[in-house]
Amino acid sequence: MLIIAILAVPLAMTLVAAAFAWRAWIGWASAASSATFLGLGIWLSVRTLSAPQWALHHSLRADSLSAFMVVVIGTVSLLATLFTPRTMRQEISSGVTTARYARHYVVLMQVFITCMLVAVLTANLGVLWVSIEATTIATTFLVSHRRTDGAFEASWKYVILCSVGIALAFLGTVLIYYAQLHASGSAHSASLDWTSVMSLAPHLDPNVTRLAFALLVVGYGTKVGLVPMHSWLPDAHSQAPAPVSALMSGVLLSVAFYALLRFRAVAEAALGPAFPRALLLVVGIASLLLATLMLIAQRDLKRMLAYSSIEHMGLLALGAAVASPLAIAAVLLHVLGHGITKSVLFLSSGEIYSLEGTTEMDKISGLLARRPTLAGIFGFAVLSLVALPPFSLFVSELTMARAEVDAGLWWVVVISLVCLSVIFAALASHTRTMLMGAGAESVAPTSSPASITVPLIGALVACVALGAFSWPLQSLLLHAAQVVIP
Amino acid sequence: MIANVDSLSQGLATLLQVIVVALGGPLLVGLMAKVKARAEGRVGAPISQPLRDLRKLLAKERLHARHASVVLPLAPMVIMATSVVAVAITPLVSTHPLLGSSADILVIVYLLLTGSAAAALAGLDPGTAFGGMGASRAMTIGALAEPALLVAVIALSIQSGTSNLPGIMASTLANPQWVLGPSRLLALGALLIVVIAETGRIPVDNPSTHLELTMVHEAMILEYAGPELALVSLGEAMRVGLLFSLVANLFLPWGIATHDTALALALGTVVVALKTAFVAVAVALIEVRSAKLRLFRLPELLAGGFVMSVLAVVTGLVTR
Amino acid sequence: MTSTYIATLELAAGAVLLSAVMTLWRRGVRSIVSMLSLQGVALAAVAMVLGRHEHENALLVTGVLVLVVKGLVVPTLLRRVSRLDPRSRESRPLVNVPASLVFAAALIVLAYVVGTRITALSPTSATHLAPLGLATVLVGYFMLVTRRRAVSKIVGLILVDNGIALVTFLLTSGVPLIVELGSSLDVLLVVVVLQFLMVSMRRHSDTDRLTEMKALHD
Repeated sequence: MLIIAILAVPLAMTLVAAAFAWRAWIGWASAASSATFLGLGIWLSVRTLSAPQWALHHSLRADSLSAFMVVVIGTVSLLATLFTPRTMRQEISSGVTTARYARHYVVLMQVFITCMLVAVLTANLGVLWVSIEATTIATTFLVSHRRTDGAFEASWKYVILCSVGIALAFLGTVLIYYAQLHASGSAHSASLDWTSVMSLAPHLDPNVTRLAFALLVVGYGTKVGLVPMHSWLPDAHSQAPAPVSALMSGVLLSVAFYALLRFRAVAEAALGPAFPRALLLVVGIASLLLATLMLIAQRDLKRMLAYSSIEHMGLLALGAAVASPLAIAAVLLHVLGHGITKSVLFLSSGEIYSLEGTTEMDKISGLLARRPTLAGIFGFAVLSLVALPPFSLFVSELTMARAEVDAGLWWVVVISLVCLSVIFAALASHTRTMLMGAGAESVAPTSSPASITVPLIGALVACVALGAFSWPLQSLLLHAAQVVIP
Repeated sequence: MIANVDSLSQGLATLLQVIVVALGGPLLVGLMAKVKARAEGRVGAPISQPLRDLRKLLAKERLHARHASVVLPLAPMVIMATSVVAVAITPLVSTHPLLGSSADILVIVYLLLTGSAAAALAGLDPGTAFGGMGASRAMTIGALAEPALLVAVIALSIQSGTSNLPGIMASTLANPQWVLGPSRLLALGALLIVVIAETGRIPVDNPSTHLELTMVHEAMILEYAGPELALVSLGEAMRVGLLFSLVANLFLPWGIATHDTALALALGTVVVALKTAFVAVAVALIEVRSAKLRLFRLPELLAGGFVMSVLAVVTGLVTR
Repeated sequence: MTSTYIATLELAAGAVLLSAVMTLWRRGVRSIVSMLSLQGVALAAVAMVLGRHEHENALLVTGVLVLVVKGLVVPTLLRRVSRLDPRSRESRPLVNVPASLVFAAALIVLAYVVGTRITALSPTSATHLAPLGLATVLVGYFMLVTRRRAVSKIVGLILVDNGIALVTFLLTSGVPLIVELGSSLDVLLVVVVLQFLMVSMRRHSDTDRLTEMKALHD
């Protein structure tokens, strides 16, 4: 029942947004709907601590992992939808878009959020695929929302690359189903249901499962943004409007990663830990290294944030490669922390873009003098992104390193530390260029409106709270982690 | 004693086969010209015209280019010889001609290749521009067509389990459902492309052109006159007959003589002639419908034939 | 009875792969799109033959769906899109046609080698043909990567989808209906999205520069 409510809220919001012409109240209503299902999600997490919840004749299922993902989706979409009225107002007044397209924007965003919720709340791995595919289609239109040359090119690249990736993920899913058919011996007891897949997983044929998992890593890995399937990410995340980038970077990547976590559990049950670990280590290290290299000489603010997302997805892949309960719990904490931090960064960069008219970092300077609150928020968010204490990303990265050491992967820890230090230096230097520097010293500092500063500061405080109080959360996270460890 | 009689009758059958192809080849060429003429609304020359041309040529004077070496007069003999031997060992009329145990498809392919190489050398020998140009073009086409031919034959032999021609025909006779299988159909498509390339028909080469821009085969034999031209033409015509009847027999082997009785041989001859005529008419209709491809577009067609033959191999492997 | 079933299945599966190779061979958009509708019909035939043989109605329904979507609707949409863009003839691909065809032959062999390891698990006359579907996927991927024109890239994407659909039908006689529906709708929607993008791009500026994806970079 709770699950159906969680899905019904954004679905109802979609209908409302489709029925009425764009007004500011629709933006606030969408924020309210996000807050609602976030609250319901927190309630669901408490309930799933005792047992998984089912709905709709066992087609929807929530275990602690699903409930946690609902909380992540809710948090990030709350932030993104809180900024929708302001973003639309700015775009309409500057002539970038019209009220008609603003309506499409809200509808598509709600469809996007609903599909992500379906993806984490479904019991069937096939429906998981369908909903992630649906998010690709919704986000294509969202990326091209501004209708500039860059936006069109970015959305074209995005839809082509992600469609191919999703198709390969479908092939991987089909191969798992095929292995299941063979293992169960009859067509009627084989299904793509999570519980039945996990129960049959130890009996799946190794050759087929190996190929299937490789295809799934490549396929879903394209949507996660892992190297070498990442080339759509910087373009799409930099050309989309800021709330869309926040949603995509903050939570869509993590939902695709959630799919990978589920399938990794199946692969480990069938093949043992070595093969999944090796595959995930390769893509994780590759993503980390490439992101480090690209961040050093980066010139565009939003592209910099996009490459940072690639870096964090690489870290997630490394944590998933280790696959001990502690590692996965750290991964989940990282998902939440990264989602919040990246949203704050993208949303404040959207604000900077509307102020400065450009996202090239060379052309922005002296922000701290002109807009102290906004610059402060941005600065602290960057500190959170590079995992300084007391933010939660520090806790999650430290725990992941500890888990990697426990598993004997010393070299991974060394490489990660080197990369993270380089990234720290790069991000700090780019941020310093923007915040300090010879801006217009004669201009008096103006304060930003509360409608933007309050949510963003609130989000940063939540990050600190997560970091400080991660210990009480540990039981929920470990419980969720146990779901994907066979 | 019995063995001698057997091999004697086999030898007679083989001789019959060679004579049939020697006469039938030019008739096939004439048939194709007639079909094209009729399709274009003309009456056209009679079917036996190529034979009359041969007789005319035999009566003419031999001419050699001044700078030609011994290659020029030797090449027509090589072309003729390879054609005759290839015809002699191929199972066209009966399934076991003399030396039929060496009727491996590779042997036949390389005999024909030897003939082509001789023609190319003869084109180069007099040192004229046309000859060199024709020789290089012909060798390019041949180099691209060979892999397709070989792989198509591999496809056939995968399904039949042997690359021996009588063996392939016997297994096809035993399994008639193979004829419409995807592997056979694809191999047929690939072989048709290769045969059109090897015999120099449109869309690869126009046999009736003498324009510099479009000549391939005609350029190679431009320097020949009189009896040598007759030998070359006859050798080429026998190749056409051999290739067409090979295609017909590989894919529809019914009617081939399995015993050496006179009745079976006669029936076999008639059936082979009909099948080959059918293939010739089909090729002529293809010629009518297509335009000659520009030279740099030929690799596309031949690569397409190659892919079709690879497809035939893979399909044959998965449908075994 | 069973031999006609096997023969039809083999012919249809072979036709799927052959039409994929033909799209690589031909340059004109109209012939490429005709090859695609032929492929859609062959794919539908595979589904319907399998459905009739295994007595699974879901598969028959899927076959009809595939026929309508991939045999009729998608080619029509593509033809309409190509009429809008007069320069859709693929005259200068990244890899020229003969080399692409030879490469495709290599990919087909690779697909065979990989595919036989999978079909060894449960060898039936249907699963034996799965390498043909894998080969279609590889050919489609190759086309996506090496062709410059937008329509050719869309065709490559459709080939990948069709190949995966063929493998699905042959290996598992179809996945649960809802997933099958989602997959078919997904193809349709992707084509609609791409058509929309192309139309929008044309209104703004030079389509080719955008679809060659050169403007955005680091």
